[in-house]
Amino acid sequence: MEKQQFDFVGKDFAIKNVGKVTGKEVYSGDVSIPGQLYAVVLRSPYAHAEIKKVDYSEAEKMGAICIGPEDVPDYLYNERIVSIPDKTYRDRTVLPKDKVRHVGEALATCAAETEEEALAALKKIKVEWGRKWKPLVTLEEAMEDEAPPIHDYVYLGEEKVKIKNNIACTRDIEVGDMERGFEEADTVVERTFSTPRIYHLQMETKSAVCVPEADGGITVWVTSQGIHNVRILLGNIFNLPLNKVNVKRVTLGGSFGSSIQMNSITPICVALALKAKRPVKLVSTREDDLYDHAKYPLITKLKVGAKKDGTLTAAHCRVWVEIGGHNIQAYPYLGCVAGWFASLYRWKNLKYEGKAVYTNKVPTCAMQGYGNPQINFAVESLMDILAEELGMDPIELRLKNYVGKGEEFWGQGPTVRSIIRSCGVEEMLVEGAKLAEWEKRTLPLEKEGEIRRGIGVARGFHTSGTGGPNPGETIDYSGATIKINEDGSVDVLTALMDHGGGTWEAAAKIVAEVLKVPYEKVGIYNVDTRTTVFDVNTHATRGVYCGGGAVKYVAEKVKELLLNYAATLFKDLPENLELSCNHELGQAVIYPREIPENYKTLGEIAEYAHITSWGTLAYTATLRQKNCPPCFITHFVEVEVNTRTGEISIPRAVILGDSGTILNPALWEGQIIGAFSRGLGFALLEETKYDLKEGKLECKGMITDYKIPTTLEMPKLDNLLVRSAHTYEPTGPFGAKGIGEAALSSVGSAVANAIYNAIGIRFYELPITPEKVLKAWKEKEREESQERVGDKLNEY
Amino acid sequence: MMEEYPIELTINGEKIVSTAKAEESLLRFLRRHGFYEVKGGCEKGDCGTCTVIMNGKAIKSCITLAGQANGKEILTVRGLEKEESGRKLQESFVQHGAIQCGFCTAGMLMTAKAYLDENHQPNKVEIRKAISGNLCRCTGYKKIVEAIYAVAEENQKSK
Ligand code: FES
Ligand code: FES
Repeated sequence: MEKQQFDFVGKDFAIKNVGKVTGKEVYSGDVSIPGQLYAVVLRSPYAHAEIKKVDYSEAEKMGAICIGPEDVPDYLYNERIVSIPDKTYRDRTVLPKDKVRHVGEALATCAAETEEEALAALKKIKVEWGRKWKPLVTLEEAMEDEAPPIHDYVYLGEEKVKIKNNIACTRDIEVGDMERGFEEADTVVERTFSTPRIYHLQMETKSAVCVPEADGGITVWVTSQGIHNVRILLGNIFNLPLNKVNVKRVTLGGSFGSSIQMNSITPICVALALKAKRPVKLVSTREDDLYDHAKYPLITKLKVGAKKDGTLTAAHCRVWVEIGGHNIQAYPYLGCVAGWFASLYRWKNLKYEGKAVYTNKVPTCAMQGYGNPQINFAVESLMDILAEELGMDPIELRLKNYVGKGEEFWGQGPTVRSIIRSCGVEEMLVEGAKLAEWEKRTLPLEKEGEIRRGIGVARGFHTSGTGGPNPGETIDYSGATIKINEDGSVDVLTALMDHGGGTWEAAAKIVAEVLKVPYEKVGIYNVDTRTTVFDVNTHATRGVYCGGGAVKYVAEKVKELLLNYAATLFKDLPENLELSCNHELGQAVIYPREIPENYKTLGEIAEYAHITSWGTLAYTATLRQKNCPPCFITHFVEVEVNTRTGEISIPRAVILGDSGTILNPALWEGQIIGAFSRGLGFALLEETKYDLKEGKLECKGMITDYKIPTTLEMPKLDNLLVRSAHTYEPTGPFGAKGIGEAALSSVGSAVANAIYNAIGIRFYELPITPEKVLKAWKEKEREESQERVGDKLNEY
Repeated sequence: MMEEYPIELTINGEKIVSTAKAEESLLRFLRRHGFYEVKGGCEKGDCGTCTVIMNGKAIKSCITLAGQANGKEILTVRGLEKEESGRKLQESFVQHGAIQCGFCTAGMLMTAKAYLDENHQPNKVEIRKAISGNLCRCTGYKKIVEAIYAVAEENQKSK
């Protein structure tokens, strides 16, 4: 392991958050343009119905500008263009042309001088409906032969594809010989698991503002995790040259994956602005937002074989996901689920079969983990079941079989793989067990009383970015322009997005570290697509590793320029010069290595470059990372189950993370704790339920009826311990990997394992609500009393 | 035409004389007048992002009618820095890493300010309760509670 001394990396500054406590931060819904119109959206009351006609003439008589299905381009697209075109399914237009495919699908839109006027006009729109079909709410009914097709055909790249049985896409993968693997096994276990649809509930609802420009182009401010993809898509949809679409980066009020794709309201806002020839602002209501996106659910049938000593021999994993009315990214999703599954343990022989199925529900998309927490719940539950069958300690079984250093990790499905070079799995399991007092653990049978305590462990990971030695099916590169100003301050222009997890802090620290410039002198701002080179998106936990990696590369190029130029001033060779930070001066200084007192400050050098008209010390480039190192996580969770009420509380948790070098310690810990709260929601509380008859959300688009954890559901503060592994990722910027999505991956599994340890009941379905606990507990008591009576009778 | 009525209130120490629309929420009124720092996360009283202080009490501006603020004093997060107790909270949030996306932050700060003004020696459990009406999807709350607690502790010491 490389040991390095850092000036800025690994220290907490967090000064870039000042705008958020003073109320000066601007989110997309806060952007206001003089003369703007306000837009509202008409959404479908039906889950699956033919649109005969949308007549908005009355609404326009009231002075509103309206757009209906006939006004939008015919261009079919996928909102998410992170995958290569040949692997991208395209099934939607800006507004649906022929029929609606889920309740809440946008149907028409109005813009007027005020929101009230726009709403009044919206009420005047008449929709003539044709045929209506019974909504296909469940996976099973959607796949039936008689089920009405939700899409007849779609495009995969440029190829027209017929959709059969509403199956949007499939993915089958085989490694080794599964049949033989199972033959070699002494023990085989098989179970079915399911995780629900949940709603991201990012606190900011999706918004867009669009200004039509005099040159025929547009400027847009949008909720987005990647502004360049929005630019490319809007250009393609509205047939605009790609330099005439300028997308502004604004601060995100949370997203968790919900804005990897261009949001459905974005092109709606643009269509209105182009028709009105005036700026238009569209802010989603919470109801709009709830009907816009959800997390992928997953059903997993998992079968695993092992030898007596715990060595795994084979696994068969079959998954089904119902994706809602449009396919945003199900194909790469199925690939990624395969990858998370294949990379958790050394199965040796595996078979994976994945199916994604259209239903008449809200389209699903990534939410922190892209299938990882879903499949992790199945695998980590089954590992505990297997350990019990084998009479092994769950930690021992994991240590024996985990995929670690020197082995292959599938960072983004089967086509993006790289070799693991840093791994803290063992350290985290062993140290975590000590911190969580694992050896004091008792078995379910040994517990008594109304309130039962249990402890569970689960481990997980996520990729850091989607780069591999070969590019594979995913587009992954980032870039930056870095320039040194005349006083030695530095500007970083990058489209890299920060969701609040500290990506910018990390990028600024990386630049500070390379150029030895004090952190506060590095500026990183909201920019736009016109002034930046491409950055794919802040997704796949790639911000620090890929975005930061690109920023480091560019900073090093600027350093090269700087040393070359300084060499002319010192009349020396660049390699004889030293660059360091003089903390007293608050400046980077350069000097000949032998005579440090002969230093010049970076400010002096930059100023000299300026007055001699030498030019700006600046560089622009993009970089693709060629690895996808996993960042690992381990959760030890204690639960208390109230067997009278079914309620579950979390008295204590120990969480260990492996991110290599940690650039922002406080925010790193914050991400782990934040993910823990979302994980508890996923495990215990959340589900977007549908009424089966009409296909409507049971919560009716209100979060009053969609509970997420508040402060009261979180473990007591002092009982939440977060620790980091001691690792260094040789391919990462200053040894760093990611953390974001890893932090969530094993929360649900650890909670479920802890519940089993507390009450001896295994749950196969999330969320584990008090009602489910109570029901299962009563059944168990009934069975046990039956057995007791039986035993008694046997005595006679 | 929507009905409008005259309204006069003080926002962050500044007098505002304007008109409010019938049934307009205070949240919408504030944003319409450029106070974009007050965020709407649900407009149903469920999330707390819209919290402002009205005559010393933290209220959810989305379920308060603009008319109810007539003649009252409103403090938003932009006015926090004018008061020492507000500045301390702002600094503490930044220092403790209590902010991620920041969308809940304004509401959290206002709830915390009103709470600390009334409760001088709260423990962490009480602080957790006090902010349980404010949702944060990013942070898991731990650092928010720590940030508020640090200010409460400091206030006590300086007494
Ligand atoms: S916007 Fe007021 S409580 Fe959510
Ligand atoms: S910091 Fe994002 S919601 Fe609280």
